[in-house]
Amino acid sequence: MKKYIGKRLLQLIPVLLGITFLSFAMMRLAGSDTVTEMYGDKGAVSQQIIDAKRAELGLDRPFLVQYGSWLKGLLTGNMGVSYVSGKNVFQTFVSKLPATLLLTALSIVATVVISIPLGILAAVKHDRFTDYFLRVFSFVGNSLPNFFVALLLMQLFSIRWKLLPVISKGTTVQSAVLPTLTLAIAMSAKYMRQVRATVLEELNKDYVLGAKARGVRGSVTLWKSVLKSSMLTIVTLLALSIGSLLGGTAIIESIFMWDGVGKLAVDSITMRDYPMIQAYVVWMAIIYVMVNLITDILYHVLDPRIRLGVQEG
Amino acid sequence: MKKTIAFLLTACLLLLMLAGCGSGKSGTETTTQSGSTAQTAAKKTMVIGDTTFNSENWEETVDPHRTYNGWASIRYGVGETLVHYTDTMELEPWLATDWTNDGNCTWTVTLREGVKFSSGRMMDGAAVKQCLEHLLENHDRAPGDTKIVDVQADGQVLTITTSEPNPALMNYLGDPYGCIIDVDASDFDNGIVAGTGPYVVKELVTDDHLTLVPNTYYWDGTPKLDELTIRTLSNGDTLSAALQAGDIDAAYGMAYEAYPNFENGGYQFSAIQTSRAFFGSMNMTSPVIQDAAVRKAIAMGINKEGFVKTLLDGHGVPANGAFPDGFSTFGGEHVKTETYDPEGAKAILEEAGWVDSDGDGIREKDGVKLTIRWLTYPSRQELPLLAESAQASLKEIGMDVDINCTANRREFLADMDSWDIYASALVTAPSGDPQYFFTTSCVPGMSYNFGAYDNPEVTALIEELSKEFDIAKRGEIAVKLQQMILDDNAYVFCSFLQMNMISGENVKNYTAHACDYYQVTAELDIE
Repeated sequence: MKKYIGKRLLQLIPVLLGITFLSFAMMRLAGSDTVTEMYGDKGAVSQQIIDAKRAELGLDRPFLVQYGSWLKGLLTGNMGVSYVSGKNVFQTFVSKLPATLLLTALSIVATVVISIPLGILAAVKHDRFTDYFLRVFSFVGNSLPNFFVALLLMQLFSIRWKLLPVISKGTTVQSAVLPTLTLAIAMSAKYMRQVRATVLEELNKDYVLGAKARGVRGSVTLWKSVLKSSMLTIVTLLALSIGSLLGGTAIIESIFMWDGVGKLAVDSITMRDYPMIQAYVVWMAIIYVMVNLITDILYHVLDPRIRLGVQEG
Repeated sequence: MKKTIAFLLTACLLLLMLAGCGSGKSGTETTTQSGSTAQTAAKKTMVIGDTTFNSENWEETVDPHRTYNGWASIRYGVGETLVHYTDTMELEPWLATDWTNDGNCTWTVTLREGVKFSSGRMMDGAAVKQCLEHLLENHDRAPGDTKIVDVQADGQVLTITTSEPNPALMNYLGDPYGCIIDVDASDFDNGIVAGTGPYVVKELVTDDHLTLVPNTYYWDGTPKLDELTIRTLSNGDTLSAALQAGDIDAAYGMAYEAYPNFENGGYQFSAIQTSRAFFGSMNMTSPVIQDAAVRKAIAMGINKEGFVKTLLDGHGVPANGAFPDGFSTFGGEHVKTETYDPEGAKAILEEAGWVDSDGDGIREKDGVKLTIRWLTYPSRQELPLLAESAQASLKEIGMDVDINCTANRREFLADMDSWDIYASALVTAPSGDPQYFFTTSCVPGMSYNFGAYDNPEVTALIEELSKEFDIAKRGEIAVKLQQMILDDNAYVFCSFLQMNMISGENVKNYTAHACDYYQVTAELDIE
């Protein structure tokens, strides 16, 4: 197990190198830089000022030199300073993480709490009214884009009923309700269908029929056997969602003024704040490698037939 | 057992995520219950939602000596400048009571007596000298704009020397970067400065909020609010919903389409015409644009009234020249420009040999279709609409407009063969002085002269303007210059932005100003 984890962590190095180089190159291909964005709409400034700013930020150097300089900084624990705020990139990035982590955790918990029971219910009540009703809910939930759900929730909970704030007031639970619900509705709609399909498939297997024939209660079969077998699918889905949520949900963060890394990333891209974008890229690479690693370990624990590092034939 | 391990691993994953949340400090200021209930209830607080106070807009702090942060400093009542702009953008005293020039490079500025910074330090010549020197050392545009090479202080009198005659010096010192701050008491690392304005920073979280409390040393009245919060809202829908839900009391930067939500009572609008012009710059190197008849026809073929009335729903003002009507002594009412006349435009094109020989509705000459490549960008909501409006109205006179609306317009601008008209938005007189626009946009080689416009007579007159100290004469030259560039049809000025600020009915004195600077004053109040 330790050897496997070590190997996976070592894989992070080429992943990080590749992804940071690609993102660095792609930002240069975007056609403008921080200085262009800074002076673009604000007013006329002389070319000397523009050139001086570029030289100050090191943007006048060749691309590879810039990348090498950034990489050297990273290896020595220095992610640089933001071109925009002039503040330490690492500290700025870390200051945004609590909000993203809280939103991720709450959304995942809400999704699990909503989608698993409803998915099971739909499977158990297969082709009956409850199933049809939940399938319609799932269909609608999947069809609505996140920003639209956010606006609907705002209209109901904030403008009409005045129960919750539109804009977050810090990283508080009250402020987290609407963004969490927005994310959970879309994810629950998707997962409910998956849970329903997985549970239904299990329910149709011979061992369930056998258990029923032997007089084992349906609920016992469901909780002890069916759910356990369905967990693999659910864990895979959750792992993917956690990875994506930890990267921040820029639209939701922007709508609810939730001060997380997603919004920071989009703002940084808009302003071509390369050091901040690179920090985000490094974060995302680490997240996906770590989440996939934990998921693989969970697979092994849930089903010992799956051996770590070996694909099933 | 294994199930338990699986559960524990999953729980660990969630707990790890939650662990970082413990330090998440609320950005909301809670009202402490110290003192009597009556006192707590009487505390006047107000929240303004603003779409521009953010890093995206280079306003991440209130430090006026950093890029465009001065806008936040002056807008939210932290900083004040030596001079103030009137509603018609003329200069009037503020922290300076008087200023004179020797007709060359030396200015004598008398400072107002009895003004203190929020730090408690007296605002005297030495403090202002220190501030201006810090500005020149740290700000990117100030040294070039002001051309200041020396500042001397004697009591309340400053003697400023410029490297060359700079008649617009005091106008530039009215720019937000000219906010006078106490350098010794300012925290430049965190962008929090001690100014002379009615409010002082209590808390600043970039891209989230700015909390202000009254400056107890304020010299010009008593600030009415006990606490004022500026909330950064980058999403227009959120701004609208927050105002409707009562999360904020006033809003700056509302999108036009949200206005109907606030037009049926309960809210008030403060509207003012600004000098932010939406205009097209002709690419004078483009063969089709070099044809004077085509330029004239474009100027006559764009329906400015229709654009403002229909597409902007009346939230704008059609433009004559580079400056709005009534603007100082050189407003648009003093110049003559082409009026919307599609029939006249058709006749001009016919006369110049542009005819629709194949009956497809688009004119040709020497086998070349009359196609205009219209370059613009989407970050100003009016610009894509202007492009569509021009496309529709110019089609009526037989011109095909090919729109390229891109955030990457700089790349296209660099390639002069890729566009014919560049439509952009620019505050033509941010400091109330006309020279800025002409110098930056009409002199060959300057950064905003995108279309390579080059008229030696215009260039010579701009040079004359740069040396003229007499305000009345500067106005006359500015009118003459506008007329010359309009006669050349080098620019088509389409409209000016009408700025609207919306607030609840209980908000008092939340008033828009032509220069877009003075949003928060000591008189701002809420009932």
